Amino acid sequence: MTGTGITVDPLTRVEGHLKFETSIENGVVVSARTSGMLFRGIEKALIGYDPRTALQLTQRVCGVCPYAHAEAAALALEDAMGIRPNANGQLLRNLIVGAYQIQDCLFHFYHLSALDFIDVTAVLDYRGADPGLAAMRDWVRSETRSERIFPAAPFLPRYQADFLQDKDCNLSAVRNYLESFTVMASLHKMVTLFGGKSPHPVAIEAGGVTTRPTIDNLAHYRTLLHQVEKFVFSCYREDILAVCRAFPGYFKEGRGYGNLLSFPYFPDAAGENHFFAGGATIEGIHTPLDLNAITEDHTYSFYQNMPGGAIKPLGQNRLEPLDWEQFQQEEQRADGKYSWSRAPRYGGKVMETGAAARVVNTYHSGRNPALNQLVDQLNRDIGISLQDYNSVLGRHLSRYIKEQVEQVEPEVLGFREMEVPRNARGIGITEASRGALGHWVEIDAHGLIKNYEMVMPTTWNMGPRDATGQPGAVEKMLIGTRISDPDNPMQLARIVRSVDPCIACSVH
Amino acid sequence: MYQVVIGACAAPLLSFDELLAADANPAGAGWSRPDLVWLQGASCSGCSTSFLNIEQITILDFLTYFTRLLYHPNLSSATGDQVPQILNKLAASGKPYILVMEGAIPAGMPHACMMAGRPIGEWVRLLAAKASRCIAAGTCAVSGGVAKMTGTLTGAVSLDEFLKQRSIKTPSVNLPACPMHPGHLVYTLLHFIKSKGLPELDDARRPRRFFTHSVHERCPRYAAFQARDFALRIGEEGCLMELGCQGPVTYNDCVAIGYNGNTNNCVRAGHPCIGCAGELFPRPLLYHTHVDPGIAAGIMLKRT
Repeated sequence: MTGTGITVDPLTRVEGHLKFETSIENGVVVSARTSGMLFRGIEKALIGYDPRTALQLTQRVCGVCPYAHAEAAALALEDAMGIRPNANGQLLRNLIVGAYQIQDCLFHFYHLSALDFIDVTAVLDYRGADPGLAAMRDWVRSETRSERIFPAAPFLPRYQADFLQDKDCNLSAVRNYLESFTVMASLHKMVTLFGGKSPHPVAIEAGGVTTRPTIDNLAHYRTLLHQVEKFVFSCYREDILAVCRAFPGYFKEGRGYGNLLSFPYFPDAAGENHFFAGGATIEGIHTPLDLNAITEDHTYSFYQNMPGGAIKPLGQNRLEPLDWEQFQQEEQRADGKYSWSRAPRYGGKVMETGAAARVVNTYHSGRNPALNQLVDQLNRDIGISLQDYNSVLGRHLSRYIKEQVEQVEPEVLGFREMEVPRNARGIGITEASRGALGHWVEIDAHGLIKNYEMVMPTTWNMGPRDATGQPGAVEKMLIGTRISDPDNPMQLARIVRSVDPCIACSVH
Repeated sequence: MYQVVIGACAAPLLSFDELLAADANPAGAGWSRPDLVWLQGASCSGCSTSFLNIEQITILDFLTYFTRLLYHPNLSSATGDQVPQILNKLAASGKPYILVMEGAIPAGMPHACMMAGRPIGEWVRLLAAKASRCIAAGTCAVSGGVAKMTGTLTGAVSLDEFLKQRSIKTPSVNLPACPMHPGHLVYTLLHFIKSKGLPELDDARRPRRFFTHSVHERCPRYAAFQARDFALRIGEEGCLMELGCQGPVTYNDCVAIGYNGNTNNCVRAGHPCIGCAGELFPRPLLYHTHVDPGIAAGIMLKRT
């Protein structure tokens, strides 16, 4: 890397171990490298396991979005079995997956992102009677006046930045930050009612859901949903709109390639007619999904180079990580490998996944008029156009939009038992909170896993360059960003956090 | 009141309520908020997100009243260079603190988990050696979990194994389960805060309070087991043993206290126990049907 550079290692408030480096010329980012710094190798370790274990074990790839892995693994195995859950099985799956995704959205906004925009120290001026805010105020006051080495941790230290100025908005956001813990716990309870526990719900299996729905647990689910709705439809919405209004610049910053990939998500009871249509929007043109276009490149990833370059899912059954010496050599080389993440490409193109992709592809497909109406309405309210969705706050906004459409009618249980097939392959595609997620499974003659492949949303977003030198999606977003204060690169942190990176997922 | 409770702390099995009742006057009770630092190794952040579901106390009270959370990868505002600064300063400060370790440590392949330019193991070594206590949060930190599953290449070890390899003598507590039960962590911390010591531990350094009984012993379907009434399909009443239930070899109180505020647990959800708190988790076979030819042929045991 040439010129002055900014390295952020670790970037906190994301899932996992993330590092990024940028080169700066004349105050503008000219190149960027994003690195996933954790490798576990769970995917290929699954070889030889019973395929049903993949439903439990791939969830452990990510403790923030385990439900999506359970769903993708179940769909892949069901595809290999040639079955679908019955209506009740599908609906219960949706109830688990839907509640979990809302929880994940709140987690991303309030806990992973909000501290980049709101000013927690605004509570110092609080004069009202809210017990949470008053307790927070007294605590921040006593901490900042103390002689402690780390006053007001974990909220300080932080990057100095242009935080939200409006006092009421800050106070409201801090109050909702605190409140959101309870709301997230309630959403996890909704998951648990049918999933058994959360994180890592066990009850999703190929064939449906093992939990028998009863009047009691359905009523409990409805009650909790009613409670969390108030928060999601008022507090969450207001806080997002406040941040959007205060930081209009971010609708123009953090723009990447603009190519958006999403998979069909949230089907009806028959497992068809997904609320969110899959597809690819490349240079503004929407095309139907083609899973054969997906490849993964290893050129800049810490693995031995594979013959043949980019590889299709299930195209290899080994992944050979570099040893310590080779790792050190690559780290020293100017153009060396720099991430445990691989570089997925769609027809050779870099794609972005996530809430914006989900909404934009659905919008273009025209298959969900209610969603299009909502998008148009919100665009009028905030004054952005559909093209602006692939910028930072559009992602937050679409997370909120998504909540409104994810409403399911709970009914009765369903689970279909089926023997694990022999010599079969299956594909399961869904949307995690962070975007398009696919599982590919190959089963051998004994009914055990012969090969397994997961292509993750964060791998699309945070993957490194490929053999042609094309930067990854977030790397591209960072390029062109103007840095006002190199010691406090908040602009960069905001952009990276906006895609909600999950490194444990991306490398797995 | 608190004196009574503090005095009673010698007793091994204090209830949550008893511990919470002692907080009426922290200064007078002679306890202070411990400093806490939370690291993630080869983990999925699931134990952190599970921890945020704690119900006995609020997160606000946890952060501002019971402890001081100096660093947490998912909650801290601090980022980039600020993180190694905090960790180095803490290690050099000579002040007591508790290290919470989430995830395994890839000892055989240190570069598989890097933070701030150094292998995570180096950070664990630095911080564990100076900590007054270490808490292994979740199965990966306790016994390797999925990070150490057969077929992985990173040589992942548990916190205890790592401390032993490095001859670090800091007392540790193991809180297995995938994810860690938030109540287990908060109970352990409250116990430490109020009695200056750890709750009574078993040979595997797990609090006896939570890990004395197997899942099977306290299973709501135990009566069915005694009656030899076995479910042969998902959805049937009866003991789930024939469907791969690992309750008999898994020690945890999850069936008694449930997950997510006792909303549910795996067995109540009609699913066999997958043994997530067991030291051999994950086994290559979890839920299965009783007629699987693969099992009959013993193929699962012959994995190369």
